[in-house]
Amino acid sequence: MKYLKYIAVLFMTSFIACDDYLDLDPVGQIIPKTVDDYRSFLTTAYASATDHKVLTTYRGDELSLEEGAVGIEQYEDIFIWNDENPSPLVRSFAYASFYNTIFYANHVIDNKDIMTGEQEEIDQLVGEAYALRALQYFELVNLYAVPYHKTTATTDVGVPITTHYDSDKTYTKQTVQTVYDLILSDIDASENLLTTVEQVLGFNYRFSVVAIQSFKSRVFLYQNEWQKSVDASEAALEINANLMDLNISADMMPSEYNSVESILALEAVASFDIANNASISESLIASYKQTSDRRFEAYFTNVKGVFKTKKSGHDRFKCTFRVAELYLNKAEALAELKEQALAETTLLALAKYRYTAQGLEDYTTALKAMSLDDLKTEILEERKRELAIEGHRWNDLRRTSQAKISKSFGGKIFVLENQDVRYVIPFPKDAQISNPNL
Amino acid sequence: MNKIIYLLLLLPTLLLAQEQKTISGNVFDTNANMPVIGASVFASSAIISHKTTIDGVIQGAMLGSTTDFDGNFMFKVSTDIKYILVSYMGYETQKIDVSKDFSNLKIFLKESSERLNEVIITGYQKIEKRKMTSSYAKVKISEIQQAGVASVDQMLSGQISGVQISATNGGPGAPAKISIRGTSTLNGSSDPLWVLDGIPLEGNDIPKNYGDKDNIDNLESYAIAGLNPEDIESITVLKDASATSIYGARAANGVIVITSKRGKKGAMRINFNATSFVTQKADFSKLNLMNSTQKVDFELMLASRSDLKYQSNRGAVARILNHHGEYDNFASHGFNSISATAQQEINNLRGTGTNWGDELYQMALNQQYSLSLSGGGEKNDYYFSTGVFDEKGATKGTGLKRYNITIKNNFDITNKLSVGAALFGSQNKSYSYITGVDAYTNPSYYSRTANPYLKVTDAAGNYVYDPDLIERSDLNLDYNILEERKNTNYELTSNSLKAIFDVHYKINKEIQFNSQVGLQLDFGKTEKFGDENSYYTRKYEQKSRYSDGSGGYAYFLPKGGIIQNWNSDAFQYNWKTTVNYNTSFDDIHELDVMVGTEFRKNNRTLIHTKGFGYNPNTLTTTAITDERAVSLASFETYRKSYIENAYASFFATTSYTFDKRYTVFGSLRYDGSNLFGVDPKYRYLPLWSMAGSWNVMQEEFMDYVDVVNEFKIRASYGVQGNIDKTTSPYVVGEYYLTSVLPGNTEQIIRVQNAPNAKLRWEKTVSSNIGFDLGLFDNKIYISGDYYQRKSSDLIGLKSVPLESGYNFINTNWATISNEGFELAINTRNIHSPNFNWSTSFNISHNKSLVEEIEIRDEDFKPSLKGYSVNAVFAIKTAGIDSNGLPLFWRDGKKISAVDFYKLSEATDGSQMTREAHRDLYSYVGDGAPKFSGGLINKFKYKQFNLKVSANFNIKQTVKQSPSYLPTLVDPGKNYATDILKAGTGNYPALIGYTTPGFDTDLVYNWFNSSDDGRTYNDLDIWVKDISYVRISSIQFGYSLPKKQLEKLKLSRMNFSLEGRNLFVFGSNYDGYFDPETFGSIYAQPIPKVISLGVNLSF
Repeated sequence: MKYLKYIAVLFMTSFIACDDYLDLDPVGQIIPKTVDDYRSFLTTAYASATDHKVLTTYRGDELSLEEGAVGIEQYEDIFIWNDENPSPLVRSFAYASFYNTIFYANHVIDNKDIMTGEQEEIDQLVGEAYALRALQYFELVNLYAVPYHKTTATTDVGVPITTHYDSDKTYTKQTVQTVYDLILSDIDASENLLTTVEQVLGFNYRFSVVAIQSFKSRVFLYQNEWQKSVDASEAALEINANLMDLNISADMMPSEYNSVESILALEAVASFDIANNASISESLIASYKQTSDRRFEAYFTNVKGVFKTKKSGHDRFKCTFRVAELYLNKAEALAELKEQALAETTLLALAKYRYTAQGLEDYTTALKAMSLDDLKTEILEERKRELAIEGHRWNDLRRTSQAKISKSFGGKIFVLENQDVRYVIPFPKDAQISNPNL
Repeated sequence: MNKIIYLLLLLPTLLLAQEQKTISGNVFDTNANMPVIGASVFASSAIISHKTTIDGVIQGAMLGSTTDFDGNFMFKVSTDIKYILVSYMGYETQKIDVSKDFSNLKIFLKESSERLNEVIITGYQKIEKRKMTSSYAKVKISEIQQAGVASVDQMLSGQISGVQISATNGGPGAPAKISIRGTSTLNGSSDPLWVLDGIPLEGNDIPKNYGDKDNIDNLESYAIAGLNPEDIESITVLKDASATSIYGARAANGVIVITSKRGKKGAMRINFNATSFVTQKADFSKLNLMNSTQKVDFELMLASRSDLKYQSNRGAVARILNHHGEYDNFASHGFNSISATAQQEINNLRGTGTNWGDELYQMALNQQYSLSLSGGGEKNDYYFSTGVFDEKGATKGTGLKRYNITIKNNFDITNKLSVGAALFGSQNKSYSYITGVDAYTNPSYYSRTANPYLKVTDAAGNYVYDPDLIERSDLNLDYNILEERKNTNYELTSNSLKAIFDVHYKINKEIQFNSQVGLQLDFGKTEKFGDENSYYTRKYEQKSRYSDGSGGYAYFLPKGGIIQNWNSDAFQYNWKTTVNYNTSFDDIHELDVMVGTEFRKNNRTLIHTKGFGYNPNTLTTTAITDERAVSLASFETYRKSYIENAYASFFATTSYTFDKRYTVFGSLRYDGSNLFGVDPKYRYLPLWSMAGSWNVMQEEFMDYVDVVNEFKIRASYGVQGNIDKTTSPYVVGEYYLTSVLPGNTEQIIRVQNAPNAKLRWEKTVSSNIGFDLGLFDNKIYISGDYYQRKSSDLIGLKSVPLESGYNFINTNWATISNEGFELAINTRNIHSPNFNWSTSFNISHNKSLVEEIEIRDEDFKPSLKGYSVNAVFAIKTAGIDSNGLPLFWRDGKKISAVDFYKLSEATDGSQMTREAHRDLYSYVGDGAPKFSGGLINKFKYKQFNLKVSANFNIKQTVKQSPSYLPTLVDPGKNYATDILKAGTGNYPALIGYTTPGFDTDLVYNWFNSSDDGRTYNDLDIWVKDISYVRISSIQFGYSLPKKQLEKLKLSRMNFSLEGRNLFVFGSNYDGYFDPETFGSIYAQPIPKVISLGVNLSF
């Protein structure tokens, strides 16, 4: 019977040894635990590229398209606002990728208390996750919902919200107000956590103190919270007020990721097709004083008689926030606050680096002669010129007058009426199929 | 059976000699009148004392011998021994009186009628057949062996009830798809588990969609392919849960246990086998393609019709017309109006032709040899074998070469301890042709589309490139099948070693300790090479195209060939330890208990390298320095992957038999595996089963039933499970590198699958009830089983709201049940000294039903809910209208395509919701056969024998690829002659946008562009029910009579002539090579093989 004992012992030991035996960590796979893991994890979300800014540029008034252009079928129906029965080949606006990024951000935020590592690094990372999430909702709500109006926001239909992953959840649309509330509370949370004041070059796709202030400045501007927007712009400008002097050199654009103006170089604003198979619209060309505005030479290039943007799909053209926008946000908010003189000063501070000496003199004179309303219009014009092909124009049109746009394409005239419902983009087909609540 | 084992174990023990006498004699088989080799002849003390203890167990010392190759034996015993026993597996044991006559005894053994004494090897246990409660089937390799078949899986076809074997492809070494009792999964593997001498083999899973163009031309090595069928003794298929649950989660699709040959005690036996086999050229005419004249007329017809403008400049006729500027003239005024030269050139095409069947397929002469040496002494046995298998396929450029060495040794170290070691080594070299991603150059596909008038070489012997195999309207990359075969190479060499070491220790007469370590090593080396002058390389070069800035294109692919290598290195060990306790008490209770552990680890490393600008003379490559290549996966030069898995299992089985009449059996297994990140206590799956049997024959009332000599009823119930390892409850990421901003590359962690914390394991509950019945002294032996299997919580991809961050998630989404019966009947029809005829027949029926499945809103086709797993859905047509447009049935009325699809000017596919789209379809049949089985007849007349094996499938619904698309008829391609019937019968007419007729343009637009669900492929005209019988083998043999053998000093010499796959009877399968691959335009033909072989034994 002693053998039985040995056998019993053998069995017992194998039972005990087994837990270790089955502890195999698959090569190349990981369940994030440390702050470094979560950093790599969040970088995936940062790296997820969406082209919604490129597509809204096609939808706005900055481009002109030829019927026979290469790949035109992908953009034609966006260009002419044909939402009713678009071609199956047309590009779809980003939707899933926003929520995928939100999934990553949510996961980082959910695990903020259990991830291991230096607290300061954790705070910075979690702060970025809040900011990144807020940015996704901000982009979503400005694509798929009406612009923010204080009076109607609590009833205007926005987009679904998720702040926590659950495989069985149903997703219903929230009001625009609820979405903005989340954006602002995320920005607050982020502000409290972020420690890095400015990111170094190459990492400037990550949120920093200056980036979150710039973001805040834009959100408040879109909400018509003028004073708050001014405050946020000033807070950001205190950290970085550098403007690139195009009078010194117009070889590089101020929107590039390595310019002194760059605050957050995250989103793609142009593409190969925009640069090669589209041209700049006549109205945009006409808005520049070609001889005195240094930007014209910096931004555009003349190819066989038509102007094309120098911005393309290369990563170096990524841009979300930059200093010039802060000046423009601030000028616009000040004008709305009826601070005409301050608004002028702010605008001229930017103009100084954009116009030739003579041009600046003319511009200054012109501004002095303007009424407050003219100034407001001029600030938006200046914004259009400064931020051309940077994914701003569609939103700026939407949130201001929702002006009538008419475009010529294939010998026909297409019109987007003033206050047209098509200023709101319909949810993509695949999103509607997968979620009947949309 | 126990008896024999114990006896053999104790044979060496010698009795102390007293006065001795020499007993000698000869043992023969009563029926065959042949010597019985290796029979045990012995005396036991039990007999000496005339005392029998419990039946089945004999104690005490014995002495004896085994017969040699002539059936002779001789040994000394004390003079007072009165009886000896002669026994041999499968024969009734004889008791011989040796009190008076004891020399030159002639002993005749009768084949055992008590099949119940057989032992069933489950891989974990040896269970006496009479105690077996499960459903299983066992075949000896000698019964099923066929010449010229590389791997044993293909030999099983039609042999075992409930086991469906279907050829996937006719190429050498192509795996057979095996399904045991239907499919219990929708997405996972449905392949059974193969076990070799107790070791589960890794690497036998066949890709789910093997017939897919992306898989069918891939060379893969399968563990089972490395095994020489000559080394196999028998195969046992375990079918129900009570048999398979001991194997744990992997066994949900059934288990196939291979028992390899081992040496038998006695003098060395040498066996040599040589076979030559001729693989016949495929019958190309089965494809029903147009010949040159038909094709030329067809092209002329297309050119004459102004409405059919698709690719109208393609094809030789259009080229000739265009070359002479006569196209429009021809179109408007006909053939007689065009110039005489053009007429002549076109007419010349009719006379020229390439027989693509001859260019692509061949007749091949092949060989197969094997040699084995086996034998054994008192304390050991051995088996050595080696074999060569060399097959060139019926498709040119394909083949398989295999070399085998097998070494097996078993030793009894003491009478309690024995060890065994076995090594199975093999090298498999398979080679094939290269096809590109889009499979245009797959021979089966290419031969269907290449023009019959196209020449392969010109008069000077130069390659003629196919002018109609073009990538885009402006790009022809010059394809010639001969050049491609010559300048490309694709081969896989897999070296495999399986090693098994076991130890048995008999602690006492009731307790036995076994431990077995098995190693499996597989090294696979695949090389794919395309020379600079090959279509393959030219096509690859296109991936490196970039705009050169001045309106043209440049390529960064360096000059030279492309060489790709895949080196895989797979390893597994399996360590299994069991303790068996077998006892019996009070004469009527028998108890068998087994407990055990099993630990298993496997890993696999795969390295894939690509070299560009390869020079076959210097064997060097050229690095690509162009930065455009960096981000392209096609130009990645090195990639390594590594997977590792660990499993730990604990199991126990108990079997209790009362009075040899009733047996109950239970098994329990805990299966643990390395689930990433999961708490150890949730890593285990419990699997269990229960079973019982009633041996009716042992009941008293059966004593009066003379016709029945064996009758048993069995029943079982069990639960099996499976965990999906790809979905985790946690957020699991994989590492990648990325660059968000220029100049800064970072490591990132990307989540591969949406986590699902609510995922449950897949569960299969099976129950089985069956009987075994032997009549008239087993002249008729019938086994029948009825089973039900219900698999619930099956895991599948489900689309989820995009707001979750994902498109799809793995969820438990389906329940499938399978129900069926199996019947096997073996009869000995005629049994006389000179003539024997026996028949085995088996038939099985399986009906699957998808009970629950979540409907995917985005699906075009109907949900399987309420139908079988392989349900075929089609759109019911109602013939064609006067314009040749298809008509459809709705609510018993014939309606036009316009009404059926709700077509209008603005139709873009969105005029129907997906639900409405799904409603277009009707269920038309089951893709799995209603009945399948086999029939084997064996005849023996004196020295001649004949075996005819057939397998059959009855009523199976199959769908072919449409032989043409009416809106996209390309004059540059050849078609099956069906196209000549377009517009007649049920065949839709060829239409263009401007084809006259009411609403033809709408129908054209629909089928041409907006039919996203591709309903044309699903019209019921492409669907049919087929039934067929394949005569898989006719074997004719002759064995040299004993007299001649003695002269030649041989113990056996057999000649055999075999024809495989010579005939198929049944429904018409025109357009395809074989009914098994009906519908697959990529499959190689299943070869017809005639073989001649000789088998010698010394």
